[in-house]
Amino acid sequence: MTYPEKIERRIEEFPEMPALCRNLLQSLEDPNVDFSQLEEQIQYDPGLTSNVLRLANSAYFGAAGSVNSLRVALMRLGTRRISEVVTAIMVSPMMLRTLSGYDLRTQDLLQHSVWVAVASEELARLKGYRDVKMLFTAGLLHDMGKIILDPFVREQQENLLHEGLSQSFDQREKEYLGMSHAQAGATLLGKWNIPQEITAAATWHHDPESAEEYPEQVNMVHLADILGYAEGIGTGVDGMKYRASQMAQKRLGLQKSDIEYVASLTLDKMNELQSLLT
Amino acid sequence: MPYRIVDIADYKISKNAGDILVTYSLGSCVGVTVYDPVAQIGGMIHCMLPLSKVDRDKAAQRPAMFVDTGMQLMLNQLFDSGVRKSRLKIAVAGGSHILNDDSIFKIGERNFTVLRKILWKNSMLMNIQDVGGEISRTIRLHIGTGRFTVKSQGTEVHYDLPRKD
Repeated sequence: MTYPEKIERRIEEFPEMPALCRNLLQSLEDPNVDFSQLEEQIQYDPGLTSNVLRLANSAYFGAAGSVNSLRVALMRLGTRRISEVVTAIMVSPMMLRTLSGYDLRTQDLLQHSVWVAVASEELARLKGYRDVKMLFTAGLLHDMGKIILDPFVREQQENLLHEGLSQSFDQREKEYLGMSHAQAGATLLGKWNIPQEITAAATWHHDPESAEEYPEQVNMVHLADILGYAEGIGTGVDGMKYRASQMAQKRLGLQKSDIEYVASLTLDKMNELQSLLT
Repeated sequence: MPYRIVDIADYKISKNAGDILVTYSLGSCVGVTVYDPVAQIGGMIHCMLPLSKVDRDKAAQRPAMFVDTGMQLMLNQLFDSGVRKSRLKIAVAGGSHILNDDSIFKIGERNFTVLRKILWKNSMLMNIQDVGGEISRTIRLHIGTGRFTVKSQGTEVHYDLPRKD
C-alpha cells in the first residue's frame, strides 16, 4: 500500500465525531434554538454537563459570578460559545496522546491547539475583526491531521528531518508521505461533516496564500500557529520548520508589538483552558 | 533524580545540591542559567518575550515572561541569597527562529539582543551560549556540580565546570 492509501485507511478507521456533539452543532446552527432543548440533550451526559459548567465558569469563557445550573450556564455562554465549548470538551480527549513521530508528549498537541484557538481570537480582537465565525474551533482543530500522520512520520522520520533543505515540514510530508498533516486533517474534518470555516483553516494553515475561502479564519489560524511555534508551545521535531506568510501579516497590518502583545495575553488563558480540558 | 521544572514565563532558584533544574521546548524563548559554584546556588529562567513595555499589566503579574523584568528579578533574588557576581557562570540557550525568517516573528533574535544588553550593563559574561537555528531545545542545570546540558533533536551536549581538586 502507498502512503496516501495508508493515510486514507487510517482516516476511515478514525472515530467518528461523537453523535451528541454532531447533533448539538446542528441544533446550534439555528440562531433561535430553544435552550431547554439543548439542556435536555446535554444533561443526560453527566460528564459533559460538569465540563460545560466548569468551562462556563472559566475566566476565558465565563463572566463575573459563578454559575451552577446548566440552564444558566448555557444562556450565559450563548449559542456560539456553546458550540465551541462542547466541541472542545468532546475532541480534547482525542488529542491527549503521545505522538512519537512528531516527538510530542501526551499534553503537547492539546496545549498547542488551545494556544492557537486562543491566540487566533486575541489576534482577531486586537485587529478589530468582529464575529469571525468558528474561529476558536478552527484554531483548536487545525492540527488533527498530526494524529493521523504520526505513525508514518515516525517511519519516515529520517527523511523528513534530514538537514540542508529549505523545504518546510509540511512540504516534506507531501514529498515523503504524499500528503501533509494539513490535508489529512482536513479530510478527517470533512468526514466529520463540520462547518466549512473549520475545514478551510485546517487545509490552508501552512499555505494561506492558496486559500480560496474564509481568508480571515485561515490567516488568523496561520499566524497564531506560527506564533505558538515561535514561543515553543507544543513544538515537536517539526516545530520551527515552517514559514510565516508575508501576505497574512500584511493583510492584518501586523506589527512586532502586536504579536508580542498577543503572546503575552495568550499564555495564561491557554494554561487555564488546557487544565480544564485535561 | 529530583527534577524541578521551570515552566515557560517562570524561573526557579535552588540551593539544593541534589536538584536539577530543567526547562523544555525553548524555541525563540531564551533560557538562562546563572550559577555560583562556590555557594552552590543556581537559577534558571525561561522568558518568552524581550521587553515588558509591550504589556505592563502582564509584567506586573508575571515578570519572568519578559527578559528585562525577569532577569532583573532572578538576579536580585540570587544576590539576596548570597551569590557573588565575580563567581557567576552564565549559560544561555534558545533564541531560535522559524524557517527563513525575515518576518515580525523574529522574537528569538530580539530576546537574545535584550539579554545580551542586560548582561553587558551588569558587567556579566556569557560563559556558554547555544542559540539560534531552527531547532527547539531543552536545558538542564545540575545544582550540585554546575553541569549544564542542552538537548535538541535527540542529541544532548554537556558542559561541565573545570574541576578544582
